Amino acid sequence: MSKAQTNQKVRSQIVEICVNGEWHELTVKPRNTLVEVLREKLGLTGTKDGCEQGVCGACTVMLEGHPALACITLAVECHGKEVRTVEGLAQGEILSAIQQAFLDQGAVQCGFCTSGMLMSATALLEKNSKPSLAEIKKALEGNLCRCTGYNAIVAAVQQASGQGVKPIML
Amino acid sequence: MILSDFEHERPGTLAEAAVLLRRHGADARIMAGGTDLLPNMRVNLVRPATVISLSGITPELPKSEPDGTIRIDALTRLATLENSTLIREQLAILAESARAVGSNQIREMGTLGGNLCQETRCLYLNQQHDYQFVVPCFKRGGACCYPFPQNKPDVCWSVHMSDVAPALIALGAEIETVGDKGGRRLAVEDLFTGNGLKPLSLDNGEIICAIIVPPRPSGFGWGYHKSARRGGLEFAMAVMAVTLRVAADRNTCTDARIVIGAVRERPVRAVAAEQALTGTILDDASVAAAVAAAIEEMKPLPHHGFTKSYIVDNVRVYLRRVLTRAVRNARGEAETA
Repeated sequence: MSKAQTNQKVRSQIVEICVNGEWHELTVKPRNTLVEVLREKLGLTGTKDGCEQGVCGACTVMLEGHPALACITLAVECHGKEVRTVEGLAQGEILSAIQQAFLDQGAVQCGFCTSGMLMSATALLEKNSKPSLAEIKKALEGNLCRCTGYNAIVAAVQQASGQGVKPIML
Repeated sequence: MILSDFEHERPGTLAEAAVLLRRHGADARIMAGGTDLLPNMRVNLVRPATVISLSGITPELPKSEPDGTIRIDALTRLATLENSTLIREQLAILAESARAVGSNQIREMGTLGGNLCQETRCLYLNQQHDYQFVVPCFKRGGACCYPFPQNKPDVCWSVHMSDVAPALIALGAEIETVGDKGGRRLAVEDLFTGNGLKPLSLDNGEIICAIIVPPRPSGFGWGYHKSARRGGLEFAMAVMAVTLRVAADRNTCTDARIVIGAVRERPVRAVAAEQALTGTILDDASVAAAVAAAIEEMKPLPHHGFTKSYIVDNVRVYLRRVLTRAVRNARGEAETA
C-alpha cells in the first residue's frame, strides 16, 4: 500500500535549472522533487532530505533568491529558475562568513540541519545585514535541530553579521 | 512517502486553469505554493491524476483603491503580505496573521488563496495510513474515525487551521473567484461549509482569484492572537481575530467582529459576542461579557492533543487580551508591552 503508484504513461519533461551558477538540462518526471533531482541527478548531496513534508527545513535551498523547501518543490516548477544550494556558498577553499561562523561557534553537531540552517541564515543576511536576535530567531524558525544546538547557531549568525560575538572554537 | 505519478499542467492564466480543472474533474488538484498539497499527496490523503500548477501566473501586487478598498491577488505569497508596506500600514491585522503562518520558508512559498483552501487537519487524517492506521478513515473513503470512534460516516471533525482566514473574516473581506461558468463574489466566511468532509464551498472548476478588503472606517481597531505550543512553525490551537469600531466619544462600540479560528471545521464567528459588545461602553465588564458569550458559542473540538476545556481556558484569557488590545488600538492609544 505504501508503494508509490507509478504510471508509465506520465511523460518526462526536460527542464533547465541553474544550480549554483551552472545551467543543467535534466529529464524529470512531474513527481520528482527538487531535492531528489539535486541529490540523485546532480549529486549535490549537501542538501538534506529530512521529513519530506516541509516541516524540518533540512532541504532549504534558495530559489530565485528566496528560501524554499526543496522537498515540496517540484523540479518541473523550477524550469528556467536559479537555485543556490549549500555547495554554492564557499568560494573554492574559502568558506563564506556564515560557514566560518558556524565552525567558530561549534554550531555543527550531527550536521544534518546545518545546510538548511546555512541557507536560511544566508537568505536572512542578504536581506538584513544586522538582524536583531528576534529577527534571527524568526528567520530560523523553520529549521529544526534535533541536537537542539540552537544557541550556538544563533550566535553564529550574530558573529557572521559582526555583532560583537567572538569565536569560541579556536 | 514517495509521490505517486501525476500529470503536470502549467496554464498561463487562471481562466485556462479553471477550464483544465473542469475538464479533469475530481482527479485534478490546483497547486499554488504546494506547501499543503504536496505533503498531503505524500501521505496519500489526496492522489490527483493531474496537478494544475498556478506557478506560471505572476500575481499582481496588492492595490489600494481611492475609497480605501484593498485588492489582493490570491496568488500573493504570505511573505509578500507580511513585508508589504501597504498591507502593514493599512491591514496590520492581515500582516500579523500572515506572519503567524508556518515558517519563513513556508511563507515564501505559500499563497494567500492557498492558505484559505488548505485541507482540514486532525491527528490521524494527515498521517501516512499504512502501518499505524491501516483502515482509511471516513474522509479518506474508509470506514472508521480514529479520534472520535462514535462518529457516523457523514461527520468529520477535522479542524480548519488557517491563521489568515479569521483575520480576513474579521475585516469583512470578500473573495472573487473565476470559473468556467463565470466568476462570483462571496464573503470569506461563506467560503467555509463547516463540513469537515468538504470544508470549502467552491464548485468544481472554481478558483479564488482575489481577496477584496473593504475600507476601514474611522475609529477602527484590531487585535490578533495565535495560541500554540511553541510560538513558531506549527499549527494553531486557537486563533483569535477581532476588529471593532468606536464612536467619536472613543468609548461606545458601534461595530465588532470577533472570529475564532482553528477550533472547528471552519472559522467561527462569535455573533452573540459581537452583539453583546455592540452599543456598549467599552470597559472591563463589557469585554468580559463578550468573552463569556464567545466561549458559549464557539463549541471547540478537541484537536491535536488539546482538550476542549484547555482550549476554552486559553481562549478565555487570550480573547480578553485581544479585545483589550483592539479597544486600545481603536482609541489610538500606544501599545503597552
